Amino acid sequence: MSLLEVRDVVTAYGKIEALKGVSLEVAQGSITCLLGPNGAGKTTLMMSIAGILKPRRGSILFNGADIAGGAPHAIVARGIALVPENRLVFPKMSVLENLQAGAYQRSDKKTVAEDVELMFGRFPRLKERAVQEAGTLSGGEQQMLAVARALMSRPQLLLMDEPSLGLAPLVVEEIFRIVSELNREGVSIFLVEQNAHMALKVAQHFYLMEQGRVSFSGTPGALAEDEVIRRAYLGSAKQ
Amino acid sequence: MLADLIQNTLDGLGIGAAYALLALGFTLIFGVLRRANLSYGPAIMIGCYCAAWTHLNFGAGLLLLALVAIAGAVLAGAYVERLCFAPHRGGSAIAAMVASFALWMQFEELATLVMPRHVYAFPALYEGGPLAFGPFTMRIEALVMLAAAATACAFLWWTLYRTRFGLAVRAVIEQPAAASLSGIDVPGVLVRVFALASALGGVAGFLVVASHEQITPMLGMWSTMKGLLAMMLGGLGSLPGAVLGGLALGLLEAHSQWFFGPQWRDFIAFALLFALLAARVPWMTTRSAS
Amino acid sequence: MDDYALGVLTNIGLFSFVALSAYLLLLAGEMSFGQQAFFGIGAYSGGILTALYGWPLPFAAVAAMTLGALAQFLLGLPTLRLRGLYFAMATLAAAEMARIAFELIHFQREVDGELAGPDGTQGFRGIRWIFEQDIEPLGYLGIVCALLALVLVAFLLVERSRLGATLRGVGEDPELAAVLGIDVRRMKLGVAAAAGALAALGGVLFAHHNTYIEPRNFDIMLGVHALAYALIGGLGTAFGPLLGVLLDIGVLEGSRVFHGYRMIVFGGLVAVLLVFRPRGLLDEKAVQWLRRRLP
Repeated sequence: MSLLEVRDVVTAYGKIEALKGVSLEVAQGSITCLLGPNGAGKTTLMMSIAGILKPRRGSILFNGADIAGGAPHAIVARGIALVPENRLVFPKMSVLENLQAGAYQRSDKKTVAEDVELMFGRFPRLKERAVQEAGTLSGGEQQMLAVARALMSRPQLLLMDEPSLGLAPLVVEEIFRIVSELNREGVSIFLVEQNAHMALKVAQHFYLMEQGRVSFSGTPGALAEDEVIRRAYLGSAKQ
Repeated sequence: MLADLIQNTLDGLGIGAAYALLALGFTLIFGVLRRANLSYGPAIMIGCYCAAWTHLNFGAGLLLLALVAIAGAVLAGAYVERLCFAPHRGGSAIAAMVASFALWMQFEELATLVMPRHVYAFPALYEGGPLAFGPFTMRIEALVMLAAAATACAFLWWTLYRTRFGLAVRAVIEQPAAASLSGIDVPGVLVRVFALASALGGVAGFLVVASHEQITPMLGMWSTMKGLLAMMLGGLGSLPGAVLGGLALGLLEAHSQWFFGPQWRDFIAFALLFALLAARVPWMTTRSAS
Repeated sequence: MDDYALGVLTNIGLFSFVALSAYLLLLAGEMSFGQQAFFGIGAYSGGILTALYGWPLPFAAVAAMTLGALAQFLLGLPTLRLRGLYFAMATLAAAEMARIAFELIHFQREVDGELAGPDGTQGFRGIRWIFEQDIEPLGYLGIVCALLALVLVAFLLVERSRLGATLRGVGEDPELAAVLGIDVRRMKLGVAAAAGALAALGGVLFAHHNTYIEPRNFDIMLGVHALAYALIGGLGTAFGPLLGVLLDIGVLEGSRVFHGYRMIVFGGLVAVLLVFRPRGLLDEKAVQWLRRRLP
């Protein structure tokens, strides 16, 4: 059963079509990864799903309902949360306030506080910096914070746009470990990644986007076997 | 000489408090929208004209007039928000600002149509004379203005840092894209911030008009200019800066006027702003303005 | 044609200069709230030269334009590095300083037995060169139109040239322009000088048409109006600002229909128009549409 189904979505910036008819699916309970070069439209797709951008054509079905063109906060209410490219933490707010912002739509203070403790348990470094201004955190810590903030809305589907961008390898490993952990706990994950190596280890399904269209769909094995893709995204290095 | 300086300082603080209130409203709107609302002062004027009209026709008491002024300003502000800022969110900043200028023209003409005389009497905020202590005097109205500004600051601080709405406002100010991704209804926040800013402006306008016991259509232009000046002097986009900028402007004006007269008073204020901008002083240019 | 109508038409021409001046800066991506200052500099300097020193108007106009260009160039040096609202506020501050300067300037000489010249807030009377030369209102309108036509031709030539495309590029995306090797700062300073000259030309013509000017003529209202005319008429062509002026002064003033609530109607129409056309009536899309249909 598809949790998320994107059908022929076209999203444009003025006259320029960044998405030229994208179709893909994210299965319930899976980790699905979207690869592709810069400018392929991956972030545009994420923003279209999250409601920041309005598709010109096509539909985006979440649990069967079309959410295309919906307001971002309404889409959060339905159970989708996006960890945006560049994290976009609230720089002057404390770590704690960032988490509280993520839980904005939830009214029960007790369960929100419990979730905050859960996040601190999962991301101990955030607990250490609970009252610190988020803008003063390191890149890796901000990424953790952005993920934790998104999780505070208890999403069914977590979208992640380039979570490993600009981070040290150890931090990247930790991020992906958390991705697997979240998935085991029942959160479906759709992530955009440049770092195909790490993604290969956790994702169950791959899509490749080029110039506004999906050009490949398949399992990690199929991806690794494809010569062209291997050279472009995996390099010839033996890891 | 020293006595004059102290007296001028006291006077300057009094009017500076009004400027601070105006600047707070401007800054709130700029903070969430990254745009200047040229109709902010005129909307305040409409609110005060509603109060003046009420006084003229019904002779109501000060408290009721204050509420009418605030309500009028909030309604006028909502009209501006819907027509000038909501349609251009994410679009052209110049279009929004020119549209707000167009509504300024509407407000001015509306006021002069309904109440054609250039000056209308307004009930006094306080009937008695100024407070005297030693060789110095302080107008009661100025003290009321300072108290109002202080209350407004406290109220704003509490709203922004102790309420859920305030968290949302700060989120929109700091990182609007992430705010909507966190489930915050950003357009709804904008509407409410506008109302809050208009209410603050209504309080400021009412106190100014009641202190002077008269109202003229120039209130709109005056509020806008002073509010913009104070906001820019304090550092665009900073709420504490708005208060400091307002008080500083008041002090600057009081002292300049004493030494050089009213024309130089205004000249010096603009010259200071220009100099600060031209020198690209960091606290003035840190916030992005679209 | 009666004198009132001639007056309205002349005003349309005069304010077109300051609207075009604001338009030029908008093309370069700068929103100025201060063009009224250069209009005023043109008015005062031109008036002083003809009324106090007996200069002929053409020479006075050239001098005024030079002064306007220099003034806006000098203003641009520290301010063009500022972005958006900061630049707008800097221009506003400078323009208000200019206006107050006009209020403070008392510079009178005896001419033909009478005192002439700027007298602070009392204004500057007796700028009568036009009348001394026996130029009729119709004749003056002709002069204004001829000069405006020259300016428009210049604009149209530039807009179709590479310079025009470069200018628009700088306005839309200065970072990209810089990457492509364009000296953005030099371009903007050049535009500033041209805008200052344009506004000053309008000012000197205005002063001689009215024969009397006062500092109040050059306040922020004029400046924001100029900006509004440029934006409402449309940023796609130099005819845009003209259209903006025509709509405000021409239709609403000339028709006298909406007397009393002219601004309520106009203001509302402007705000609504901008919702649908944020770059004005004659925006880039409209101009392209027109170009395809006209020979």
